[in-house]
Amino acid sequence: MERNIQKIGVINFVILLIAGGISYILARYSNSLAGQVGAVFFGIGFFVTLISFFQMGLEEKERIEKLEFDEIAREKNAASLFSTEAETFPARKSREQFERFFLPGFTVVLFLAQAASAYFLWKWLNSAIVVGPQQGMVALSLYGVLALILFLLGKYSANIARFENQRLLRPGASFLVLNAYICATIAIALGLTYGGVAKADLWLGRALIIVLGLTAVESLLNLIFEVYRPRVRGKQERLVYESRLLGLLAQPEGIFTTAAHALDYQFGFKVSETWVYRFMEKALAWLILLQLVVLVLSTCFVFVSPGEEALLERFGRAARADNLLRPGLHLKMPWPVDKVFRFRTDEIQSFTIGQGVEKDHGSTITWSVKHEEQPMNLMVAAKDSGSRTNGGGGGVPVDLLTVGIPVQYQIKDVRAYAYNHVDSGALLEKIATREVVKYLVGVDLFDIMSSGKAKASVDLQKAIQDRADKLALGVKIILVGLEDIHPPQKVVAAFENVVGARQEVQAKIRQAEGYAVAARTSAEGQAVKQVHDAESYKADRVASAEAQAAQFKNQLLAYRAAPSVYMNRAYLQVWLNSLTNARLYVVTSTNTHDVYQLDLQDKINVDIGSSIPIPEKK
Amino acid sequence: MKRNALTLVVGVILLVIFVLLLFTFQVRQTEKVVLTTFDKPSSAPIEKPGLYFKWPVPVQRVYRFDKRIHNFEDEFEQMLTRDGNNILASVFVGWTITKPLEFFNSFPAGKPEAAEPALKSLVRSTKQAVIGQHPFSDFVSSDPKQVKFEEVEKQVFDSVAQSAEAKYGVKIEFVGIKRIGLPESVTGKVFERMTAERQREIDRIKSEGDRESTQIKSAADRDRAEILAKATAEAISIRGEAEAQATKFFNVQNENAELAVYLMKLKALEHSLTNNATLVLTPDTSPFDVLKSKMPTVQTNGNPTQAPNGPKLSENLDANK
Repeated sequence: MERNIQKIGVINFVILLIAGGISYILARYSNSLAGQVGAVFFGIGFFVTLISFFQMGLEEKERIEKLEFDEIAREKNAASLFSTEAETFPARKSREQFERFFLPGFTVVLFLAQAASAYFLWKWLNSAIVVGPQQGMVALSLYGVLALILFLLGKYSANIARFENQRLLRPGASFLVLNAYICATIAIALGLTYGGVAKADLWLGRALIIVLGLTAVESLLNLIFEVYRPRVRGKQERLVYESRLLGLLAQPEGIFTTAAHALDYQFGFKVSETWVYRFMEKALAWLILLQLVVLVLSTCFVFVSPGEEALLERFGRAARADNLLRPGLHLKMPWPVDKVFRFRTDEIQSFTIGQGVEKDHGSTITWSVKHEEQPMNLMVAAKDSGSRTNGGGGGVPVDLLTVGIPVQYQIKDVRAYAYNHVDSGALLEKIATREVVKYLVGVDLFDIMSSGKAKASVDLQKAIQDRADKLALGVKIILVGLEDIHPPQKVVAAFENVVGARQEVQAKIRQAEGYAVAARTSAEGQAVKQVHDAESYKADRVASAEAQAAQFKNQLLAYRAAPSVYMNRAYLQVWLNSLTNARLYVVTSTNTHDVYQLDLQDKINVDIGSSIPIPEKK
Repeated sequence: MKRNALTLVVGVILLVIFVLLLFTFQVRQTEKVVLTTFDKPSSAPIEKPGLYFKWPVPVQRVYRFDKRIHNFEDEFEQMLTRDGNNILASVFVGWTITKPLEFFNSFPAGKPEAAEPALKSLVRSTKQAVIGQHPFSDFVSSDPKQVKFEEVEKQVFDSVAQSAEAKYGVKIEFVGIKRIGLPESVTGKVFERMTAERQREIDRIKSEGDRESTQIKSAADRDRAEILAKATAEAISIRGEAEAQATKFFNVQNENAELAVYLMKLKALEHSLTNNATLVLTPDTSPFDVLKSKMPTVQTNGNPTQAPNGPKLSENLDANK
C-alpha cells in the first residue's frame, strides 16, 4: 500500500509539471492573462508536491528501518549491537534532520517565491496591454479538459490521503484540485470575455494574484508558529509548508463533510461520502466525449472581429472562390480540415525609416539635442555644386541629412499580402527605404527641409505605393511623414548660427534705419530752425533798422537844435550807462617820466565762506 | 457493457484522429513540399495545395518550402566607385524557390535561412563589381535624371539571377538598392564642409547686412546734409532780404552821416565797455578833463553862479565806483 502512496505522489508532481506546461502554453496561445498567472500556481504546486514526495521516501525508509530493527531486536539485544541511537536509527535521524532544517528552509524559499511572484505579477498585470484573449473557444475547451483531469486526480489523492491518513499526499492533492478550479475559472473567464465581459480575464488574474499573496502571508505565519509551537514526541506534526488556506480552497467540501459526519451521527444514516467521486466514475467517458465534441464544435465557428479579415483554407487550398471572411460569424469545417488565417486589415501599421524620436524624450524636440538612439544620415544632393565636394575629392556635391521618417500603411488586399511574399511588412520597409534614399539623392537639402517638404511627402508616398503595387504587396500607404528630418547634430550649431547671423544683421539694419530716421528728422528740425532764425533776424533787422531810422531822425532834430550839447550829452550818457562798473585809472601827471605799475588782475573773492554751502540742520 | 461500448467509441475516435494525423499531411497554397522516403527525396515536389497521404515518420518525412517571395538585405558595406570615391551601399533581394529538389539538396534541411548566406555572398560580390563600374554622380546628383539607381539595380539583377538559378535552384525576382552612404571618415569631412559652408553663409549675410546698414546710414547723412544745406541757403537768403530791407532805412542817416557815425561809435563804445572793463585814462579825457579845467561861470537868474566844486565831483566819481 505504501508503495502505491509513493506512486500517487510521483503521479501528482509529474501531472502538475505537465499540466503546468500545457496551461502556460495555452495561456500564451490564447493570450489569457489569468492563465499566465495560474501557471505560477502549477509551478509552486510542483515543488511542494516534489518535497512531500521526498519526505514520503524518508518516512518509508524509517518505517522499513523500524521493522528491521524490531526483527533484529526479537533475536538479539539491540543495545549490544549499536552504541548510539543515531547508529541504531540512521533513517529516522535523516528524517528528523530533514524536518528540522530542510523543511523550514524550503518554507522560507516558498514564502519568498510566493511573495516575489505576487509582487512582480501584480506589476506586470498593471502594465500588461489587454488585447483580449484569442482563440477563445479552443482555449476554453482545453482548459475544461485540463480542469476535469486535474479534478479527478486531485479528488482521488485527497480521498486516499483522508481515508488512509496519508498527510504527505495532502499538499499534492490540494494543489491538483486547486489548479483544477483555477483552470475551470479561467475557462469561465474566457467564456465571459467571449460573451462581452471584456475584463473578466483581467479580474480573474488579479484575484489569483491576491490568493497568491495570501498564501505568502500564510507561509510566513506558518514559519513563525513553527518556531514557537510545542513539540510532543511521537505526535504527528502538521507540514510546515502545507497551506491550510489552499486546502480549504481546494477542498471546500471538507467543511461540509465535517458537518455531514455530524449529521450522519445525529440522524444515523449516510448523507455524505464520496458522491462526487462516484458520479465522476460513472460519467467519465461521457464527460471526455462531451469535451471532445465541444472541442471539435468550437473549431467550426469563426468570429472575425471588426477591423479584421480572414482567409479560409481547406486542406491548404482556398476553401472557395472567395475565401475572404469579413467581420462577423462564419461556419467552417472543423480543424484541421479548414483553417483560418486572420489579418488586421483596418489597423494602421507603421515603421520608421531611420530612427524615430525616443519615447522618453519629452515634448520638445530640437535639432541640437539628440533625440534618436542611432541617427541615420542619408546623402542629399547639393545644388550649389561650385563650392561643395563629398570629401573624397570627387567634386560631387553631397550634404547629409538625419532622417526619421514614419511610414503608415494598411493591408488593402489580404490575399496579395498573405500569399505573395513571405514577409510583406519587412519588404515594404526595404522598398520604402529605397524610395526615400533615391528621392533624397536628387533633392537639395534646403528644399527638402523647407518649401519642398510637403511635395516630397506626397511624391514619396506615391513612389512607395507604386513600388508596392508593382511587387503586389497588397498594402495601401497612408502616410509618409517628413517631420523629423534635419541636419546632422554635429552641424546643427552651424545652421543655427546662420539664423543667428540673420537676426544680427536684421538688428543692425534696424539700428541703421533708426539712425536714418533720427538723422533726417533732426536735420529737418535744424533746417526749420535755421529758416526761422533767419526770419527772426530779418524781422528784427528790418524793424530795428526802421526804428533806428526813426530814432536818427529825432536825434538829428535834437542835434540840429544844439549840436555841441547833444553830442556831449550823448557822449556822457555812454559814460553813465556803461562805465560806471569799469575800473578807471586816471593818470593825472602827463609831463613826468614816472613808470606806473598797474595790477590789472581781477581781485580774488576773499570771502571764501560765501562759496561754501552751510549744511542744513538735521 | 454499455459503458464499455461508449469507452470503445471514444477510444476509436481518438485513434482515428491520431492515425489521420500520422498518415496525412496538408500542402498549403503558399508551399511546395518535398517528400522523402528513408531520407531519399521523391522524384517530383508537390506543388499543388491539398491533403496528401504519407507513411509516418521515420519512413517518410515532409519538407516544406515557402513558395512565396523571400527577401533579405545584404551588408551595408564600403566600396569604391569608378571615379575613386568611397561609398557604402546595401541592396535587398527578392527570391523564390523554383526548384525545391535542387534547393533541398543545396542547403541543410532546405531552410531558406540557410540559403541566405550563400545568396548574400553572391549578391555582395556582384554589387561591388557593378558599383565599381559607375561614377559617384550616378548615385548622388542634384539632377534626379542623372541618378541611375534602376540601371545599377538591373545590372546587379542580371548578373545575380543567372548564377542563382543555376547554382541554387532559386529565382531572383528583384534587386533594389536599399541604402547608400558615406564612410565615417568621409562623413566627418562632409560635416566640416557643411560647417564651413554655413560659416560662408554667415559671412555673406553679415557683410550684406553691413552694406545695407551703411547704405541706410550714408543715405540718411546725405539727406541730412541736403536738408541743412537747403535750410542754410534759405536762411542766408532771408538774412539778405533783411539787409536789403534794412538798407532802405539806413538812407535816412545820410542826411548827417557824421552824426550817424558818431552815434554808432558811441553805441559801440557802450557795448564794448561792459563786463568790468579797465580803462587807463588821462585827465584830458572827457569828462575827466573837468579835473584840470576851471569852474565855468553859470548864469543864474542873470547872475553868474559858482559851479559845483571839485570835491563834489570827486565824491561823484567815488560814488560811481
